[in-house]
Amino acid sequence: MKIQKKITGAVRPCVLKLAGTALITCSLLAFDHPAAYATSISGDSLTILRLRENKRDDQLFPLYEYLNLSASDTGSQGTISVQLGGWGRIDLGDRSSQRRSDGDIQYGFLSYRANKNNLQFNAGRQWVVEGVATERLDGLYLRTDLVAGFTAATFVGTPVTTNPNFEGGELIYGGRIAHTMPKYYSIGLSALRNETDAEGLREEEGVDLWLHPIPQLDISGRSSYNSLSKGWAEHAYTLSVTPMDALRLSASMQRIDYKDYFYHVTTSALSLTNGILDPNEELWNVGGSIGFLPTKNVNVALEYNRYEYEIAGDADYYGVTASFTTPTALTAGASFHRMDGDTGPLRYNQYRAWATQKFGPADLTLDFFDVDFDSSITGRTNTYSLAAAAGYNFNRSLRVTADIDYQRSTDFDNELRGLVKLSYAFGFGKEGK
Amino acid sequence: MKKISLMVLMGVTLSFLYACANTSSIARVHPEEVKGLPRCAECHTDTWTALNHQAQDFYLKHKFYAAQQRAACSTCHKESFCVDCHAHKEEIKPNDKYKERPELNLPHRGDYLSRHRIDGRINPASCVKCHGRENNERCKTCHR
Repeated sequence: MKIQKKITGAVRPCVLKLAGTALITCSLLAFDHPAAYATSISGDSLTILRLRENKRDDQLFPLYEYLNLSASDTGSQGTISVQLGGWGRIDLGDRSSQRRSDGDIQYGFLSYRANKNNLQFNAGRQWVVEGVATERLDGLYLRTDLVAGFTAATFVGTPVTTNPNFEGGELIYGGRIAHTMPKYYSIGLSALRNETDAEGLREEEGVDLWLHPIPQLDISGRSSYNSLSKGWAEHAYTLSVTPMDALRLSASMQRIDYKDYFYHVTTSALSLTNGILDPNEELWNVGGSIGFLPTKNVNVALEYNRYEYEIAGDADYYGVTASFTTPTALTAGASFHRMDGDTGPLRYNQYRAWATQKFGPADLTLDFFDVDFDSSITGRTNTYSLAAAAGYNFNRSLRVTADIDYQRSTDFDNELRGLVKLSYAFGFGKEGK
Repeated sequence: MKKISLMVLMGVTLSFLYACANTSSIARVHPEEVKGLPRCAECHTDTWTALNHQAQDFYLKHKFYAAQQRAACSTCHKESFCVDCHAHKEEIKPNDKYKERPELNLPHRGDYLSRHRIDGRINPASCVKCHGRENNERCKTCHR
């Protein structure tokens, strides 16, 4: 793996090509778009002020603005929309990170969705989720239904990565072909390749499935193969059985081969070169859960997970969660989990209790979370956090929330954090949330 | 020349396959506003009965559903909904951003800085999708 060189100066040619292609395609779509039946513009703004101290007693008051915008225009053939979202920060107190101000465009793309054949075309910064691909890219995405139950999707672009240690590549492309019988199953084959100067950084193929031969049975999962390291990176499958509305049984299996799964990341924290992750390690995670609704308002879940390793010691994780909800005012829950590993840090009890109560336009939330270790970690066996939040809805669009969070951890004796949040939704027309 | 001919042939074939598909697209916006954690089977009797957001394994399975048919998620969820957790660059943990929604069981509750090495030892694969290639600039502070 090569250390990432910061790219400065000229924009990469492939980006220009992609941008040009996107602009031309979008212009053609817009030009061809018949008169609008419905136009919708919506957005939401989230202004957040955080208040905390760090280990050096710096007073940190970062102020954030998150803004999401969506505009769509529906015609007789389909809908053209523009989606844009990002955030910015400025430090009102001491510096909270390397830069006093920062920000990010999280997504920004133009989309066309046809009323027929689930045809969708996106151009811009987007998050593509297709089989083995879970990628953010600046580029193009096309998906459509084909004849006889087949569907196809393809994408190409520049990977949008953060590259603190290793480069994320200059070009990513791939696709997925699937066959679906909506009542019974969907099985897909997918592939992706990520490269720099035609040299492959990642090359993955996979099969994904979703089987539901009867309404009570649901099996989903995927297997992915790493062509560069020539090994199966992951097998992950979950089976759910719902013999009655009030009862759901679930079993899951995951196998990870470290040398194939962690083959190319951009951070040394998850790299096989960091001395923490052993390339020869293999993980098997097998588990199950039972979900039970004794009444419509009560939900109880029991879960068990077994982690088995080729090299490290094994661990069991099991517990119970119960929650109670009334249709209008109260949501409450509690959980207990036990981690039974082979070393001190992997032997602990985890407790949680939470409740949210509405009082007309106002609401109050309490959330307690406690981890009790069998042996001390940096001189402490018990760590906990207690959070209280209060919110008030001025109307359907404007809401203010404030919360305070007290923590006692292995790193901090007493840490108090605060957050004030103002959210405002605006626009007209009908969109999702 | 051979390449161009092959591409033209592929384009024509795909256009033909597309034209013959004749399916109706999934609704772009859900006809009714859905609040809280929905159990889609309360109204649906089709494929979407599986999307029970209250099920104990829904969090585990949602990635498979999204990778198969993300348009179904998009009927209720805007892009910004996914980005709250699956971010390119983010400085506020999902759990910190939505303290008033404890029922969502959002990741990294409490003092996660000291606990992340425990989760990382148990199953580092669960970290990769969000932090393997994105949202990992701060890792460098300690992981050089």
